[in-house]
Amino acid sequence: MYRETGLVNTKPPSGQDDAALLVLVQRGDEYAMASLYDRYSKVVYSVALRVLRDPASAEDILQEVFMQIWRNPDGFVAARGSLGGWLAVVARNRSIDALRRKRPTDNVDDMALASNYNLANEAERNSLIEKARVVLHLLPVEQRKTLEMAFFDGLTHSEIAEMTGDPLGTVKTRIRSALTSLRKAFTA
Amino acid sequence: MSDERRITSEDLTLFAMQLLSKEETAEVTAYLARSEAARRELAEIQGELAIYAHTVDMHSPPALVRERLMKQVAREKKTVPIDRPAPVETRAPETTARVGTIFGQSLADPSEVADKGYGSERGLGRGAYLTEDDTPKRGVMGKVLPWVGWAVAAGLAVTTGALYHERDALRGLVSTQASRLDHLTADAAAARQVLDAMTDSSAMRVTLTTKGQAATALPQGRATYVASKGTLIFLASNLETLPPSKTYELWLIPAAPGETPIPAGTFRPDERGNASVIMPPLPKGVEAKAFGVTVEDEGGAMTPTLPIVLVGE
Repeated sequence: MYRETGLVNTKPPSGQDDAALLVLVQRGDEYAMASLYDRYSKVVYSVALRVLRDPASAEDILQEVFMQIWRNPDGFVAARGSLGGWLAVVARNRSIDALRRKRPTDNVDDMALASNYNLANEAERNSLIEKARVVLHLLPVEQRKTLEMAFFDGLTHSEIAEMTGDPLGTVKTRIRSALTSLRKAFTA
Repeated sequence: MSDERRITSEDLTLFAMQLLSKEETAEVTAYLARSEAARRELAEIQGELAIYAHTVDMHSPPALVRERLMKQVAREKKTVPIDRPAPVETRAPETTARVGTIFGQSLADPSEVADKGYGSERGLGRGAYLTEDDTPKRGVMGKVLPWVGWAVAAGLAVTTGALYHERDALRGLVSTQASRLDHLTADAAAARQVLDAMTDSSAMRVTLTTKGQAATALPQGRATYVASKGTLIFLASNLETLPPSKTYELWLIPAAPGETPIPAGTFRPDERGNASVIMPPLPKGVEAKAFGVTVEDEGGAMTPTLPIVLVGE
C-alpha cells in the first residue's frame, strides 16, 4: 500500500502516539499521515456518514478533514485534547456545514477539547465506545433522541422543539442532561 | 454557567454544536473571551461530544478513499524548513521544558525522537535550543537565508496558484471532452445500427408498389451520393447470381467531360439477390453524371468491362 501511494518516507513504527505522528506530519512525512488516517479514518467516515447519510459526501468530508491535518498540523498543536476526539467533532461539524450547504465555521485553532482518554489506543478506544453506548442506552428515550437530533441531524433547539412539541427550555435541558450523564459515567 | 450574562451550560452545549443563531453565537463568543471558567466548561463539553460522536455505528471507508487521499498528500508535498543547528554546548538542561505539547502530551525531546528512529538526520530537533539570553549570531548568509526562504515560499505560492487554476481548467476540459465522447459514442452506435440493418443479409427487404400492381423482379439498384463528402450508399436487389470467378463492380461516372469512370467497390449478391456497397473510398467533390454496374473478374477492374448491367443517371 505504501509503495502504491508513492510514499517516499520511511514507514514509522506502529503504535506511535498521535503527538509523535503529528510531529512527523509537520515534517512532511507521508507515512505518518497514512498512519493517522488508518487510525482515525473509520470514526471520521462513520460520523460523516451518519450525518450526511450519503457515502460519497462522507468520503468528501473524510478527505477534507485529513487534508486539513496535512496542510496545517500546527493547528492541532498546543494541548487541545485528543486528536481522535477532535477529529470526531470536526467531522460532525463539517458534515453539518455540508448539510446546510455553507462554508466551514469551526475554527480549528480555537477549539480546545478536554479529554483524558487515549483514543490512539484501539483497545482503549473500543472500551470507551462500549461504555458510552451503554450509558446512552440507559438514558431516557427523550434525552437520547433529542441529543441525536441536535448532534447528528444538526437540528437547532428551536427546530427540535417545533418537531417534538416540547418547550424550548426542555429541549435545551435534555441535550445538556444527556451529555452530563456521559460525563458523569466517565468521571465516576 | 454565568449568571450575569445568562450564558448557561446549555448555551455552551448548543454553541459547541454550532446550533445557536449568529447573535447568540456572538454573545457566547464574547463571554468566552472574558471567562476562563467558561472556556474550561466548553472544553469539557467538546470532550463529551467527542465521546458521543464515537458511539456512532462504525463503517470502514472504501479503500480507494485512502489511495485518493495519499495521492493528494503526495501532490501537496511540504517544503521542509531549513534547520540551523546551534552549538551543542549552548544546550541547557531545562530546555526540554520548552518543547511544545500536542494534545496534552509532551512532544518528544529531540534526542528521544532520534532514538525512536525518525531522528536527527531528517532535521527534527537536530542540534540544540538556544536559551532566551542567547543572541543568535548571524553572518551574511544568516541574514540572507530567511529572505531566500520567503522568496521560495512566495514562488511556491504563485506556482501553486497557477497549478490550481491549470488543474481547474484541465478538469473542465476533461469534463467537456468526456461529455463529447459520450455523444459521439451514442452517435456511432446509432450509425452502426443503421449500417447493420442495411447490410444484414437476414434483413427483410420489401419493394413497395401501388396497390394491385405486382412488384417486378427485375434487377435494380439505388445509389445515394453526396459529392461534397464523397459519401456513397448503394443498395441493389434481384441481382443474378454470378460464378465464383466473377463479381459485380459499381462505377461512378463523373460529370466532368473526359474523366474516366471511378471504381466504387465490388460486391456479390446474397442468395436472395440483394447486395450493398456502403461508403466506398471515393474522392470528395466529384460530381457524378451517372452510376453503373458491370460484371468483372474476381478482385475488380480499373476500367469497366461492357456490358453495363445496371445504369442510372
